[in-house]
Amino acid sequence: MGGQACVFYGAAEFSRDTDLAILASSENLARLSNALRDLKAQVIAVPPFEAKYLRKGHAVHFSCHHPEALGMRVDVMTKMRGVDAFSKLWTRRTTISSYDTTIELMSLPDLVQAKKTQRDKDWPMLRRLVEVNYFANREKPTREQIRFWFLELRTPELLVELAVSQGRTPAQLIRRRPLLKNVGTANESLLTKTLRAEEEREREADREYWRPLKKELEKLRHSRASQSKR
Amino acid sequence: MISPEELVGEEWAAWYRLSPLERWRESEKLWEIYFHLGGSLDTEPDTESPFFDPREPSTRTVNGRPGMRVLRRSRV
Repeated sequence: MGGQACVFYGAAEFSRDTDLAILASSENLARLSNALRDLKAQVIAVPPFEAKYLRKGHAVHFSCHHPEALGMRVDVMTKMRGVDAFSKLWTRRTTISSYDTTIELMSLPDLVQAKKTQRDKDWPMLRRLVEVNYFANREKPTREQIRFWFLELRTPELLVELAVSQGRTPAQLIRRRPLLKNVGTANESLLTKTLRAEEEREREADREYWRPLKKELEKLRHSRASQSKR
Repeated sequence: MISPEELVGEEWAAWYRLSPLERWRESEKLWEIYFHLGGSLDTEPDTESPFFDPREPSTRTVNGRPGMRVLRRSRV
């Protein structure tokens, strides 16, 4: 669901880690443990690899020691802010085959939700992901694609073009994304300003989401540090 | 209709025009070159990530590759 998924959908990211979204069931965690054992992966940092931390929204970080994956970082998550439950992600996934290996990627709309974080680097990528999808499909779009673009495009010029091509912006989408009421005015500088404000609200919501989780991580670090001193 | 070139320039537009699988393959080629040049899989610290712990020791060498040094650097 990380860098390689972004490459597939159109952004360009050189990400050396592998991000996995998983179902945190005991059976699945056992399977993942076996796979990680093959990679000689060890948990780095906190939290430990336990379902309760994954279900709370933490990520568990591993570093691989197998000679063919030496130093590769694997981050495992099961719950992400603003992203649907794993069962829904799974039904919407994209499956690709590469060198006889099957790779399951998070769908583009789900990836876009997952990328709405507090980090600077995610926002230009998010913009590109939706732009690529828009350019590739604007000639013959489906209803789902039009809805997705209205809700997720972050490019003022393309939002205006979309509104013109559709004739009107559906009222229920304006309720979901209030900045769409400015699209019809074709005022790109106003749109730019409201897009920036929307981004800032999302980033703040992400910081808010992480506040208690970061506190918990800090506690775990302290307890680990005091255990290692004993 | 706005063209990708108008919006993001020639280079990005060329990337945009690739199919998803073509982008995937191009990325695989870049990985091969990266490893051929001795690139490492160790990640850079992501200081903006909520998981970032400044006290956590990093295994990564400063320049991303064991034995690699900066020989020349711009002043900026």
